[in-house]
Amino acid sequence: MHQLLSRLGPCITAWVLALGLTAGVPAQAGAQTPAIAAASSLQFALPVLIERFEADTGSRLRVTYGASGNLQRQIQQGAPFELFLSADEARARDLESLGLTQGEGRDYAIGRLVWLQAKGLPLADDARPLGGVRDAIAAFDAGQGKPRIALANPLHAPYGVAAKEVLTRADLWTASEPLRVLGENVAQAAQFALASESRGGFAAYSLVAAPTLAERADYRLIPAQWHTPINQRMVLIKGASETSTAFFDWLMGDEAGEVLERFGFSRPDVE
Amino acid sequence: MSGARDAGLCVSLHQPGPIPLAADFTCAPGELLALVGPSGSGKTTLLRAIAGLYAPRTGRVECSGEAWFDHAAGINLTPQRRRVGLVFQDYALFPHFNAEANIAVALGHLPAHERRDQARLWLSRVRLEGLERRLPRELSGGQRQRVALARALAREPRVLLLDEPFSAVDQVTRRRLQRELAMLRERLNIPIVLVTHDLTEASALADRMCVLHGGRALQQDTPEAVFRYPESPEVARLLDRPNVFTGVVRNTEAGRRLEWGEWRLEVDRGIDDVAPGTTVTWYLPESDIVLHRRGRPSRGVRENLVSARVDELVVLGGISTVTLVFAHDRQPMRFDIATHASRRNGLAQGEWVDVSLLSSGIHVMDTDAPSTPVLEDMS
Amino acid sequence: MDWAALSVSLRLAVLTSLMLLPFGLWLGRRLALSRSRLRAPCEALVALPLVMPPTVLGFYLMMAFSGEAPLGSLWASVTGTSLNFSFSGILLASLVVNVPFTVQPIQRAFEGIPAHLREAAWCSGLSAWQTLWRIELPLALPGVVSALALTFAHTLGEFGVILMVGGAIDGETRTLAISIYDHVQAFDESAAGVMSAMLLVLSFVTIGLVYGLTGRRRG
Repeated sequence: MHQLLSRLGPCITAWVLALGLTAGVPAQAGAQTPAIAAASSLQFALPVLIERFEADTGSRLRVTYGASGNLQRQIQQGAPFELFLSADEARARDLESLGLTQGEGRDYAIGRLVWLQAKGLPLADDARPLGGVRDAIAAFDAGQGKPRIALANPLHAPYGVAAKEVLTRADLWTASEPLRVLGENVAQAAQFALASESRGGFAAYSLVAAPTLAERADYRLIPAQWHTPINQRMVLIKGASETSTAFFDWLMGDEAGEVLERFGFSRPDVE
Repeated sequence: MSGARDAGLCVSLHQPGPIPLAADFTCAPGELLALVGPSGSGKTTLLRAIAGLYAPRTGRVECSGEAWFDHAAGINLTPQRRRVGLVFQDYALFPHFNAEANIAVALGHLPAHERRDQARLWLSRVRLEGLERRLPRELSGGQRQRVALARALAREPRVLLLDEPFSAVDQVTRRRLQRELAMLRERLNIPIVLVTHDLTEASALADRMCVLHGGRALQQDTPEAVFRYPESPEVARLLDRPNVFTGVVRNTEAGRRLEWGEWRLEVDRGIDDVAPGTTVTWYLPESDIVLHRRGRPSRGVRENLVSARVDELVVLGGISTVTLVFAHDRQPMRFDIATHASRRNGLAQGEWVDVSLLSSGIHVMDTDAPSTPVLEDMS
Repeated sequence: MDWAALSVSLRLAVLTSLMLLPFGLWLGRRLALSRSRLRAPCEALVALPLVMPPTVLGFYLMMAFSGEAPLGSLWASVTGTSLNFSFSGILLASLVVNVPFTVQPIQRAFEGIPAHLREAAWCSGLSAWQTLWRIELPLALPGVVSALALTFAHTLGEFGVILMVGGAIDGETRTLAISIYDHVQAFDESAAGVMSAMLLVLSFVTIGLVYGLTGRRRG
């Protein structure tokens, strides 16, 4: 027994030490920095915005991305987010009407829906962006496999709602049913859209504007009239810190507007 | 629980279940009592009850006048308090301690600096010097058992309990260990209780024997007495002594006799108080069966001469087992004789022989005992 | 490499393993020695997190931790914070989920100790405590170390329950496993790859330790 302990002892000590060190390394500071919740469509735009904000003001922020519906639910259940950037109006307004917010919300951007597909597949032309969907359905009906069509889950994600509206309007909702695959949020939808099993999918324009996606995907903008406008609204949660409030205000400014435009968002008309 | 026994062990344990027990016995200091019986007869349970590892429903265990277990008085001392030395069948040595350390565990009553030397002393007493640092897995079966014994004795116990201690070792080692136990005994003045199913071992080592079956203590006496005068056919069967027969007590002109088939047997004791006409069960030890030489009736021994046919003759090396059948009794008579003697007498299956049944050996059992002879399957 | 997530994962794993240990020792030994009829149902209860789908576990825990439930509201009134979406919450969830990983190896270890050894110790004069300390624990030690290692490795990998209860909050409840998931969604495969490799190595080393220990016994 003593032999076992004496050989194990140094191993275990080294192990625990290594752990302790790595565990101690990063920030406990993380706990103090304000946390904000953002829709997945801001996956690429927001890091740039935050970088600019941090450069301008010196304050730090932590972000959690997700589907707007999920984030709204979590906030309702007490998640400690101080600012919520939704991909639609409704979720933000829900929180407002529940009295969980501080001050008035603001519409900070208007998003656009795109059809996204991997490079190398036949791309429909501008005038008929849903060509890919029709191709997939035709192939399936002809018994040539099951090419998938990805979209965000309409239950939680505003971009998913928009995609559904677009398909329904074009009479393709029922026909596409066997081929649809749902992403938890619009970023996952984009990921699924680019998988080899997929013909393509519906994602946020702001995602394809990022270099990471641009180099591996083709896209077609979906005309904005084909779906309810994606008005993205943000709200401050009660008890938000100065930093979050500052960011909230900063996001309405010109510098932020410039970045947002670069990522395919447009500013709403002045209220 | 007489005064003379006050210094020793007194056990009286009874319970209907889950393990039935009905045993009363005593063991004096310096005496070795063997508990014998087949598996499942409750011997180990009784031993564990004495050690304090098992508490029966009712009863009493007392040692040197101190009550260790008394159900009525609500006393049940822990094994630690009782100070028993228990040697397990599988040794139960601590695998992570060497021989010396195993023994040292039992020396908690000594100051720490004395334990090592005392442990070594015990090792030398069981003749294992030089093996102090060996772990149990590096010792042979016999060596492990010696360590277990030393550990039990190092405790300076008030009672030594051994649970089939030699059953897990080979024959040669077993004989050696038995001899050593016999020698160690000389120096121990405590009651020793040995559980075994080996009758030879019991008769060799024990001062007294207690025959158990189904948790009941059937008979308790010296081995010679038990083997010569088993109380009932059941005891005889448990002792592997098959020669149990039935007869009827008769009054004849020559006196009280035991009528058995066509013969009237003379019996030294046991039938004088029995009413004539009563059917009794009787037993005869092998030592009291005398085979007569063929063609030459024995000059000296003439009592209780009976004749029978040899039904079976099994030669096992130097000893042959003879089975005789009688016309009137289903129960055959079986005994061993030297093979050379059986050859000299021309014994063979089917032959008729004359045997004398010594009157001093005929043991009439309790007439309340079941009178049907205990027939054994001789296969 | 998401250092904040690594820190959360390591802290969660170390704390879970250490905090469950005394409980595991007590319950594992109790179950090993027990002959009562309650033993089997108790073992089934201990094993439950093994077979329950993580989302089911996550769901029940989330409900139990919320402000409306007794546990959640008690916590809130004592500490002023909520259980859901906090490190304490995922730690508590992790403790529940890892019970079988701690208790079962310890139980096996104690079951492997022959009953006669304890009795021999008592007859040699050792009290129940001394027997536990000097005889039982040293013999059960490999199992105890296994339990620690298995709990540690399993906690590192725990995903569904942590995500549901914790909400992936950076620096607080976003573990390395969740971070990998997030990075994949953000098309950052290289980062996901680095973190996955690290988790793989940690898990492998830990399991190697477990098998190395039990293998020693077999040999």
